[in-house]
Amino acid sequence: MSEIVLRADGLAKTFRLGFLRKRIEAVREATFDVQRGEIFGYLGPNGSGKTTTLKMLMGLVFPTRGRAEVLGRPVPNREAKRRLGYLPESPYFYEYLAPEEFLDLVGALCDVPRAIRRERAAKLIARVGLEQARGRPLRKFSKGMLQRIGIAQALMGDPELVVLDEPMTGLDPLGRKEIRDLMLELRREGRTVVYSTHILPDVEMTCDRVAMIFAGRIRSVGPLAELLTARLLSTEVCLSPGAGTLPPLPAGATTRQSPDGLLVDLPEGTDVDACLRAVLAGGCHVLSVTPRRESLEDLFLRQAAEKGAA
Amino acid sequence: MNRVIAIAWNTFREAVRNKILYSLLFFAVLIILSALAIGNLTLHEEVRTIRDIGLFGIDLFGVIIAIFVGVNLLYKELDLKTVYTILPKPLHRWEFVFGKWLGMLLTLAVQISVMGIVLAAVLAAQGARFDLPTAKAVWLLFVNVMLVTSIAVFFSAFSSPFLSGFFALGCFVVGRSVPDIRALGEKLGPAANAVLNMLCDLIPNLHLFYPSGAIVGAEEVSVHRQFVGSDYILSATGYGVAYSFIVLLLAMLIFRKRDFV
Repeated sequence: MSEIVLRADGLAKTFRLGFLRKRIEAVREATFDVQRGEIFGYLGPNGSGKTTTLKMLMGLVFPTRGRAEVLGRPVPNREAKRRLGYLPESPYFYEYLAPEEFLDLVGALCDVPRAIRRERAAKLIARVGLEQARGRPLRKFSKGMLQRIGIAQALMGDPELVVLDEPMTGLDPLGRKEIRDLMLELRREGRTVVYSTHILPDVEMTCDRVAMIFAGRIRSVGPLAELLTARLLSTEVCLSPGAGTLPPLPAGATTRQSPDGLLVDLPEGTDVDACLRAVLAGGCHVLSVTPRRESLEDLFLRQAAEKGAA
Repeated sequence: MNRVIAIAWNTFREAVRNKILYSLLFFAVLIILSALAIGNLTLHEEVRTIRDIGLFGIDLFGVIIAIFVGVNLLYKELDLKTVYTILPKPLHRWEFVFGKWLGMLLTLAVQISVMGIVLAAVLAAQGARFDLPTAKAVWLLFVNVMLVTSIAVFFSAFSSPFLSGFFALGCFVVGRSVPDIRALGEKLGPAANAVLNMLCDLIPNLHLFYPSGAIVGAEEVSVHRQFVGSDYILSATGYGVAYSFIVLLLAMLIFRKRDFV
C-alpha cells in the first residue's frame, strides 16, 4: 500500500464574521488522503472551500473540527513544513525584492545552507523561465510571472510534497501548459503534487486522483477512471448523405450540421449497428462514429447539480 | 536563529527601500539643521539651543518613525498576504513576529544614529562636542522608540493600522505625561488618584526616557549641566527592554492563535 503523505480527516472550518458573529461554514467535512508520488487534484467551483482546506493543511487556519496530517505529522509541524512547498492562491510577494533575493530569503527560512541557496535559486529561476527577469524587482512582474516565481519559491526547500493553490490562475495557455509539464516533471522526480483548481481539462491531463468539493463538503474522492462512469452516454455519428437518403432515425436521436457533414447524436440504448446498417443501405457515407462517455466536466456538473438538489 | 535573522534582515531591507521613511528622516535632519540657524539668533545660547532642538527633533521624528514602522511593517504582511507564503515555511509564528520586531529595531537604530550624527555635525559646526550627556540622551530616546514600536506591533497584531497608530500614539502621549497624571491624581482626591495611579502603572512610563528638566534623586537633571548617571541609564534601559518584551510576548500570543483567512 502506498505511503500517505497528506491526510484530511473530517476537517471543518466555521468562521464568525461581523459584529453579530454570523456563522459561515467554509468547510463542512473534508476527508481525503494523498499518496506519495501522485498528482492529486482538489476540484471545486469558486467559494467551495478549496483554499480554506489547503490553508488548514498548511497551518494558516485552525480547523473547527477534524484532524490534518502532513508527512505523517499533525499540522502544524516544523519538521513536516521543512519537507513541504506551498504556493498560496493569487500570491503576493515582497515587491521590493528581485527574484534571487526573494528565493534567498525563502531558502534561509527553509534552512537551506547559504552555499546551496544561490545555486538552487539560479536553477529554479531558469526552470520557471524567468532568467530574463532575474534583476527586476517583483513589483514589475506580471501576474503570470508572479505565479512562476511563486512556484520557484515553493520548490526552494527541495520539498517532497508540493501544494499549489490555483497554480494556473492568471496564466495564458502557454503558461498553463508549462505549469502542467512542470507538475508532471515533479512527479517523475518522485515528488507528490497537490493542487486545487476549477480548470477541468488541466486535471484530466495531469491528475492521478482527485477530490471534489461542493459547498464545503467532499462529494467524491478517487482515481479519475473510477469516478467517471464507464457507461456510454451517447454515440455521435458523422455522415455525408451524398446522393443517398437518410433513413428514419431512432426515437431521441438529434441531428445538426457541422463543417464535416451531418452529426447524428444517438442516445444511450440505441442499437447503433442497426442504425448504421440503415444509413449505409440508404446510400449515405459514414465518416466517423464516436462513442461519448462521461467526462470530468459531466461528472463535475452532475455533482454540482446533485449538491444543488440536496 | 538564522530564520529570525532572515526575517529581521528582510524587514530592514523593506524599511530602507521605503520612500516615506526617507521623507521623515529628511524632515528630522531639516529640524536638526535648522537648530544651527535658530541658535545663531540667540545671545550666547547657540549650543544649548542646538542641543535642545536637536534632541527634540530626534525625539519627535523617532517616535513618528517608530509608530509608522511598528504599525505598518507587520500589518502589511497581513494586508498584502505575504504572510501566506512565509508562515508555511519551517518557521514558528513567534519567530516571525520576533524577526519583524528585530528588523524594526535595526531600522530605528540606523535612523536614530543618522539623526545623532547630524546633531554631532551641527554641534561641531558651532565648535561644541557631542558629549557624554548628549550621547546618554540619544540612547534613552532610542530605548523610548524601541518601546513605542513594540506597543505599535502589539496593537497591529489585532487591529488596523489606523487604530494601531492611534492607540500607540495615545500610549506615547499618556506615557510621556505619567508624572503629570500622578500629580493631577493627588489633587483630584483618593478615588481619582487610585484610578490614575493604576493607569500610570499599566501605561509605560516614557517620561523616564526624556528626563532633562526633571528631578532625579532630589536633583534637577539637565543635558546641559548635570545629566543622569549610568545607574539611571541602566535601570531605564532595563525597564524599556522588559516592557518591550512583555508587549511583544502578548503580540506573539495573539499572532499564534490567529487565522490567516
